[in-house]
Amino acid sequence: MSGVFYLAWQYLRWHRWKASILVAAVTLVLYLPLGLQLVVEQTARDMNARADATPLLLGGRGSPLELVLNALYFSDQQPPVFDYGVVDELRNSALVDPIPLYSRYHSQQIPIVGTTLDYFAFRNLQIAQGRQLAMLGEAVLGISAAQSLGVGVGDYVVSSPESVFDIAGVYPLRMPVVGVLAASYSPDDGAIFVDLKTAWIIEGIGHGHQELTSPAAAGAVLKSEGDRIVANASLVQYNEITADNIDSFHFHGKNADLPLTAILPVPRSDKARVLIQGRYQAHDSLQLLQPRAVIKQLLDTVFAVQRYVLVAMGLVAVATTAVVLLVFLLSWRARRPEQDTLHRLGGSKAAILSLMLAEVVMVLATAAVLAALLVALTELFGGPLLKAVLL
Amino acid sequence: MRVVIYLVIVLLAGCGEAPNESNTANDKSQTAKIYTVNYPLFWATQQLVADSAEVYFPAPADVDPAFWVPDLETLAAYQQADLIVLNGASYARWLSRVSLPNNRLLNTAADFSDQLIPMETEPLHSHGPQGDHSHGEQAFTVWLDLSLYAQQVSVLEQGLSRSVEVDAAALQARIQAWDAALIRLGQQMDGAPVFYSHPVYQYLDRAYGFDGLALHWEPGDYPSPQDWQQLVEMLPQHRGHLMLWEDEPLPETRARLATMGIEIAVFQPLGNRPAKGDFGSAMDANIETLRHYLEY
Repeated sequence: MSGVFYLAWQYLRWHRWKASILVAAVTLVLYLPLGLQLVVEQTARDMNARADATPLLLGGRGSPLELVLNALYFSDQQPPVFDYGVVDELRNSALVDPIPLYSRYHSQQIPIVGTTLDYFAFRNLQIAQGRQLAMLGEAVLGISAAQSLGVGVGDYVVSSPESVFDIAGVYPLRMPVVGVLAASYSPDDGAIFVDLKTAWIIEGIGHGHQELTSPAAAGAVLKSEGDRIVANASLVQYNEITADNIDSFHFHGKNADLPLTAILPVPRSDKARVLIQGRYQAHDSLQLLQPRAVIKQLLDTVFAVQRYVLVAMGLVAVATTAVVLLVFLLSWRARRPEQDTLHRLGGSKAAILSLMLAEVVMVLATAAVLAALLVALTELFGGPLLKAVLL
Repeated sequence: MRVVIYLVIVLLAGCGEAPNESNTANDKSQTAKIYTVNYPLFWATQQLVADSAEVYFPAPADVDPAFWVPDLETLAAYQQADLIVLNGASYARWLSRVSLPNNRLLNTAADFSDQLIPMETEPLHSHGPQGDHSHGEQAFTVWLDLSLYAQQVSVLEQGLSRSVEVDAAALQARIQAWDAALIRLGQQMDGAPVFYSHPVYQYLDRAYGFDGLALHWEPGDYPSPQDWQQLVEMLPQHRGHLMLWEDEPLPETRARLATMGIEIAVFQPLGNRPAKGDFGSAMDANIETLRHYLEY
């Protein structure tokens, strides 16, 4: 029997290109439906897990999907901003514990998420190196963000300008990395976390500058009338918050008017969840969502597309199988003289048939092994692919 | 066989248990930790929770907690607290420069933010598209208006009642008694001008009808010639015969003020721990000092 497989192997080696094409075709026919199924299921599992861990999400009225993707997965979608005063409203309701988010800026494509320490407790994020955020202007990085930027505790990250053409825009803020989070296998791994106030400073709503009444700032003063001083653009504004200049940082306007992109309202009970949903159901400018429901809608669409793709793949698989069968049949017909020679050498019909079948088995077995390998690789790395497309 | 193995495991686990010690440790770790930012709130919290929670006020005794900044270790302790009791009114400016868990902050002045007294500390300025603005703040010794202090205690009671049982009736009664006493003293003063050695008595002044002007003198320092000149220039328009001090001034300061017909009364603002007694006894002493001045 081993002789049959030896001869079959030698035949396939000799016709390596034909064999390779057959193996590749069968591998793809086997792998693609399985791989697609796996990627979709993995993505659905990850996205549902994140959505399930977020009972409610409040944001500006607009696209629910944009809001969920921005607040839960820190995608580039920009939902409408709304006032921080809503946080106080929610807290005063005594129904939920609100966690504000301001996710708008980046550092080299890595999202910068402004929030409060409550977020870390809510997501159960642990510090692996360094320490938690303490002072204004500090940053804590998710493990993937730290690896991708090549920075660690003691290094700095710099916020990117919103637009390269915005030369009159806000100064980039240089922030020391004071901590790196342990892996959480969630979008938090790929984010830079800063205090909410730091995020507002990145936006330019808060800033620090020279004391206008000090002699050092005299050159920047355009005019001084009574208790009103007007300065020009040469006034030194700080692009890093240090122990020496932290006292000069301040915000313009009331806290309640400062912007947010989302709030995670954590209900204190099931009853509180229902009550708070009722309160915001018909709000003019805000929407209160259950992320699970929004993600379900998105995944329903993905699953619907997947079904069409699987049907198409099934048809392709039938066609491919027919072609492979044809290739083998034509190959056997073309090899009739070879079979006659084997017969004259004393080979039985059964032995000759075994030889032909062994070739088929070896092609199919190799394709099956390769397909299994690809499925394993998809299991390991496939999840982020579809998420990257969706987000 | 399996059942026997499970039984052995359960019995062995039971033998190794030290229920009393572990329960004690759990109880200890479950005791609520409450951090405060000034002494009036620390004292009130202590009065309310008694032994059912650990109450902390980490500012050193020799600093003004309004201007103190905690080190990173102390800040980490604040971050781990179950509740952080704030004074509001821009008190403890360090709070705006640090990261804290917002859902564990309790602003005791939130209910009377419209009654806070603004302080113009800096000139208006503009240097960009934001237009005119100032970094001005608010007067923060709100507890010197005892009716506001009573409101702070009410907010504190509500905030604490989420984790510990509290009964504020006795404390509220004591605060109301102080408030009533100060109202009577204010009426007895009948709008007579007074001086304050430091600008920390804004709420006392407004709540009890005092007609005061604030200087910027320190109890441990002898005022400079410019300081004396400033006082002399104020006297024609504001003929005060009483100056409230945060603490006992130098004897030579007292003597020189006496020559100008100005008596001294120590009315401790109590932002930090008093040298003797506690907030309650020190407030009693404050009121007694004022009563003594008016009666004699």
